[in-house]
Amino acid sequence: MADETKKEKSDGGEEGLDRRQFFVRVGLGSLAVAGLGTAVFGYQFLSPNVLYEPSPIVNAGKPGGYPPDSVTLDPATGIFVVREAEGFFALSAVCTHLGCLTAWKPELGIIACPCHGSKFNRDGTKITGPAPRPLPWLRMWLSDEGDLMVDRSNLIAAREFVRI
Amino acid sequence: MAKSLTTYLDDLRDSRVWRSIFRSGPGQSNLHHALVVQSNVFLHLFSVKARKRVLDFSVTWYLGALTFGSFLVLVITGVLLMLYYHPSVPLAYTDMKDLQFVVSSGVFLRNLHRWSAHAMVLLVFAHMFKVFYRGAYRPPREFNWVIGVVLLLITLFLSYTGYLLPWDQLAFWAVTVGSNIASAVPVFGRHIRFLMLGGNLVNANALLRFYVLHCMILPLTAIFFIAIHFWRIRKDGGLYAGAPTTVAEKEGER
Amino acid sequence: MSDPKDFTAGFDSNARKAPVRVAFITRRTSPQVKVADEDQVMTHPGVFFRVAVAVELLTIALVALALAWDAPLEGLADPMHTPNPAKAPWYFLGLQELLHYFPPVVAGVLIPTLVVIGLIVIPYFNINIQAESLWARDGARRLRIVAVVALALCVFLAVFDVWVALVPTVVIAAFMFVAARSSAQSASRMRRWLYSKTLSFWIMTWFLAEAAVLTAIGTFFRGPGWSWVWPWRS
Repeated sequence: MADETKKEKSDGGEEGLDRRQFFVRVGLGSLAVAGLGTAVFGYQFLSPNVLYEPSPIVNAGKPGGYPPDSVTLDPATGIFVVREAEGFFALSAVCTHLGCLTAWKPELGIIACPCHGSKFNRDGTKITGPAPRPLPWLRMWLSDEGDLMVDRSNLIAAREFVRI
Repeated sequence: MAKSLTTYLDDLRDSRVWRSIFRSGPGQSNLHHALVVQSNVFLHLFSVKARKRVLDFSVTWYLGALTFGSFLVLVITGVLLMLYYHPSVPLAYTDMKDLQFVVSSGVFLRNLHRWSAHAMVLLVFAHMFKVFYRGAYRPPREFNWVIGVVLLLITLFLSYTGYLLPWDQLAFWAVTVGSNIASAVPVFGRHIRFLMLGGNLVNANALLRFYVLHCMILPLTAIFFIAIHFWRIRKDGGLYAGAPTTVAEKEGER
Repeated sequence: MSDPKDFTAGFDSNARKAPVRVAFITRRTSPQVKVADEDQVMTHPGVFFRVAVAVELLTIALVALALAWDAPLEGLADPMHTPNPAKAPWYFLGLQELLHYFPPVVAGVLIPTLVVIGLIVIPYFNINIQAESLWARDGARRLRIVAVVALALCVFLAVFDVWVALVPTVVIAAFMFVAARSSAQSASRMRRWLYSKTLSFWIMTWFLAEAAVLTAIGTFFRGPGWSWVWPWRS
């Protein structure tokens, strides 16, 4: 009996597993499963499900409040509401370089960033400066009550105007 | 497979990178096992060898190790809970609700933290009684016993300061009663209460002070004294195993 | 001891070359004396693996508890409204029960301070270091002292109406009486065991019994207004 068990142990590496190797594998396997589970649950725990931050959706008020052919900055929400002949559109006022709040210069007809000198046209395209991208257009629509609504988290590529 | 897992591990331990971090290298000899303990900054708090008798369950019931284990669970769950907790009034309470309903695994971590806290208090008392009843406080271990009493007090203060943090009715009134007891200390009572609460009432200042005590000051103090406690075990001659032949045994008492 | 060694012992004036440590081991004061040699294991893996298993089992138990039972959370803290009863966590309930009988200075400050001081000084008193029975020497006189102290304690507790604390005191005193009347040659094993117990054993056991009873009372037998309730009736 003792001889047989000795042989089992010695040939464990070639054919089947001996008991020790089996338990080592079971142990390591369960450790791996536990580690994976911990990682998944840990990641889920660390990423918050609820954020206490202001909503990205902004109510820009009635269209009548904006004079024709104007660029209006709302510094609290960081958007430009632009009214042109073709209609309304909204730009993000956050400079695409390093996040400073840009300003509309009516005497020059451009949007300028005070931090590193980037300059943009009123349609968001870049004139000069270190900014890598133009100021993005934001999705805008008219609410049921007739208010201009802007979603700052929704960037649109095409030049879509909101006509009233 | 041609090479078993152990051979791979041995090769890993023999590699240059591994040897530069852990000096012990591969091997199962006593020398290797001794090096694992001696060349590790945390592990060399312990002695290289231990008396075999001491490892029997009936000797210590492993109560000291279990107390330390529950402390580790508390530190880990506590740090994770800190990520979703604002120690301000009344955000603290809404954060508790968040942990319960909104945060993934929030309920589990909070429960684990709470039950581990109760377990640690229970275990530290059990450890103290076990050490007393088997006479492990006797010289040369008397100072380690004193360190143990200090650790008992730290554990109770940790539990008390943590109790306030949820800012619910239970917490608020428990601390109100406790701080009023503190003010009963003759001469210094009112000052002690004022310093403890950071004011005259249990309010935002009190919450912040208890938060700093619970998460920073007391855990650091606990770790400091735990390290001394482990060090003294080693320097006093290892864990007390109970002499196998005592005069008491000879007289047939046990 | 063992066979005489074949060298002579002497003293050198150079303490660094020949360090001398002389230890006088008095009878029954050091736990190390009798053992000449001991079986030892390597800390790694001997101790570490066993401790790891113990801690793992504890963690499993705690995780099971955490999955099964939720930690309590009452309403938002309201300074205008005190809940009734307002109970401390279980490890302070014994203290809170004492507060029912004694003023805060005594129950909240004096008694805990005395308990802590009492714990700290235990290993510095010879009578606690010796492992011999309390009744081994001077048995009759010691029994008289114990009787007087127990009686005084009972009177003190009765005067302050701390009937709950009276019960463990009386029980422990009774056991001590039985122990004093036994000897190492008593017939029953229980009486031999009781006889062998030291003074520190009796004091600590009394303290443990009191703490357990007071905590149990505070947990189960106290309701609104800290009034007495029978737990099976509420």
